[in-house]
Amino acid sequence: MDRNQVHRQVALMRQSFFDQGFLDEQFIQLEELQDEANPNFVEEVVTLYYRDSTRLILNIEQALEKSPLDFNKLDCHMHQFKGSSSSIGAKKVKSECTQFREYCKAGNGEGCMRTFQQLKKEYAILKKKLETYFQMARQAGPKEIACRPKPKLDICPDLEKNYVGWIPSRFRYTFSF
Amino acid sequence: MNKNDGHVDSIPVPEHVDNTQFPDGLRVLAIDDNSVCLRLLEALLIKCRYKVAATTNAIEALEMLRQNKDNFDIVITDVNNLDMDGFSLLDIIGIEMDLPVIMISADDKKSTVMKGIRHGARDYLLKPVRIEEIKNIWQHVVRKSLSDPNKSVHYNRSNR
Repeated sequence: MDRNQVHRQVALMRQSFFDQGFLDEQFIQLEELQDEANPNFVEEVVTLYYRDSTRLILNIEQALEKSPLDFNKLDCHMHQFKGSSSSIGAKKVKSECTQFREYCKAGNGEGCMRTFQQLKKEYAILKKKLETYFQMARQAGPKEIACRPKPKLDICPDLEKNYVGWIPSRFRYTFSF
Repeated sequence: MNKNDGHVDSIPVPEHVDNTQFPDGLRVLAIDDNSVCLRLLEALLIKCRYKVAATTNAIEALEMLRQNKDNFDIVITDVNNLDMDGFSLLDIIGIEMDLPVIMISADDKKSTVMKGIRHGARDYLLKPVRIEEIKNIWQHVVRKSLSDPNKSVHYNRSNR
């Protein structure tokens, strides 16, 4: 697959995340913080998010097994989860967190458990999508260096026109014309 | 003693300090027990060319402040889920260390904001924090030094 096609695929995938409501503008904030000093910032923060979420999901699962339910504790865990989800722009996950906290406030255990199942689903979908996205973005990079004889340090002006949004900084060093 | 002569460009820092670079290098202590939020906050602060020490542990942060409070110009902290009561933290930083402190929270309830202000928070930022808000935190350092005319702001570029 030629380089432009891969870049376009990555860009389309990224756009679909926004169009389908998986991510919101906070994700763009992350992208804007990525630069030469922090070339993998977005992936770094998202990886941190996975680690944090795994721990929180486990805590919530354990808390949901207790009887009677400690709604304060559940709300506390979910507050954390909401905080980190909103930091990376995970829109659907964040909305499930909000719903869960409503049920906690109302002392509705059934509602909490139902919402938690939904939340885990949304989280798993987002994680899979982002993993694929970063993998594709990474693949587009190194392959280029292998195929092209000499990378130049210029950004391709045409590509910039076609490319919507984030250009991982490593791409800047792989174009040669 | 520093006087604000009312000139818009003059910033109340000691005369030997190069204030053309201010607020670059402003020394910020960031506290948030959520490591994702903390990483983001740290990146925002660095992007604003501030110097950052970041920790998830509020008690440790207090220890650090107690040992050398002159090493920081401002503290920015979440108040929920810390290893100590967030509002007590605000009290201690304001009273004991006399540093301006900014509160951040994912909670936008008016009562929480009021509580923060009552405990001495200079400002209240709602998560997720935006870079425009972080860019402005230096104003609280200046405002504070204006209201304490006997205390000069230790903005020291030699720390770079």
